[in-house]
Amino acid sequence: MNIQKHIDTLFSDYQESPALKDFKEELVGHLDERIKSLTKKGMDEKSAFEKAISELGDISVIADEIGKKKRQEVFSEMYMKTRNYMSAKRSALYALCGLVLGLAVLIPLITWFASGIHVSTVAAIVPFGMTAILGFVFLWLTQETASHEAMSRKRALWYVLAAGLILFGVLAAFITYFGVEFAALDVKSHGYDTANTSIMGAIAVLMVFSLPGIALGIFLILTEKERSKPWVIKQREEYMKYANEQFDGPAKAQKFGLICGALWIAAMAGFVLLTMLVGIKFSWLAIVAALVVQMIIMAMLTKSK
Amino acid sequence: MEPRLSSDLLRGHTDTIVLAALMNDDRYGLEIYNRILARTGEQYEMKVDTLYSSYKRLEKNGYITSYWGDETQGARRKYYHITDRGRELYRQNLLDWEFTQKILSNLLKEDK
Repeated sequence: MNIQKHIDTLFSDYQESPALKDFKEELVGHLDERIKSLTKKGMDEKSAFEKAISELGDISVIADEIGKKKRQEVFSEMYMKTRNYMSAKRSALYALCGLVLGLAVLIPLITWFASGIHVSTVAAIVPFGMTAILGFVFLWLTQETASHEAMSRKRALWYVLAAGLILFGVLAAFITYFGVEFAALDVKSHGYDTANTSIMGAIAVLMVFSLPGIALGIFLILTEKERSKPWVIKQREEYMKYANEQFDGPAKAQKFGLICGALWIAAMAGFVLLTMLVGIKFSWLAIVAALVVQMIIMAMLTKSK
Repeated sequence: MEPRLSSDLLRGHTDTIVLAALMNDDRYGLEIYNRILARTGEQYEMKVDTLYSSYKRLEKNGYITSYWGDETQGARRKYYHITDRGRELYRQNLLDWEFTQKILSNLLKEDK
């Protein structure tokens, strides 16, 4: 029996450190001498080894104090982990949604190559694409993860309705736009100006479906209840505390948030404007400038150490 | 009826038992273990984890220090040495125990 090997196995879950190495050597010495004294009393080597080992008790308790566990869970992994909460039924549903999404890509592609007509292509997206996306929305909202409790099915269905309305509005707007354009070939011969009617029709359709959808969505988000698990809430509080310390009180943190919000709106506006004026080649500099300014503001508001 | 040794009661005094063993000599881990075996007539097998946790705890709090011996043959031994703070803790613990023992005996007596 190899004592060293036995001790190494006992502590294989712990990160090697000088303190742990020290302790392991001490223990090996202890066992070695103990076994020798037991055999001297007439015990055979095997039972002496077993007796000495059994006397150890739960020695890893000490390793807990002096060493770090090797298998430390990575924060992000903990945050997004769904494995423990994924039943076979749910996994099958996810896979099914993925399959339908695949069809939602393939069928419009085939339609496009076969007919070359925009309106048919977009129309082909509707049944499969919407089913798949809404399916994913429902599954994800009712999914319990390591960080969140699942949403109730009833509420998730309301979200699905909102997403469905928005999605349908967008797709229907495309269909209207392309559809009118398609019909325009015929209409143009009657002397109507069709360029505007197709856009107007599309916007009208978009408004009828997507606006209620957006309103419902906003209402749902604003009335959302806390679904985070206790440990996430605790983590968030700790982060807030840390942020407050960094910013010398919540007032300054709030100020920083406001300034940053304004800064980024300005940056986006600058980006769009510059793209239109001088092109994308230089407009991205607006984003970089915003980043730099944000750093400077942060440095000014945080406590100097 | 045979009297039995209360392991729980003894375990509560592990730190003091270790300090007592070190009062006059520096000793290594197994030596203290053997001393306990001998003094209890091998009736009480203190688990090694309990004992070594006690060493680590006492060392961390500055009641004992440790150093490696310079054995010429066989495995090296780690010796423990009691500090002045350790001596003080030992005396205090001993006083506390003697006092508690008196009170406890009183409490455990039945009324006559």
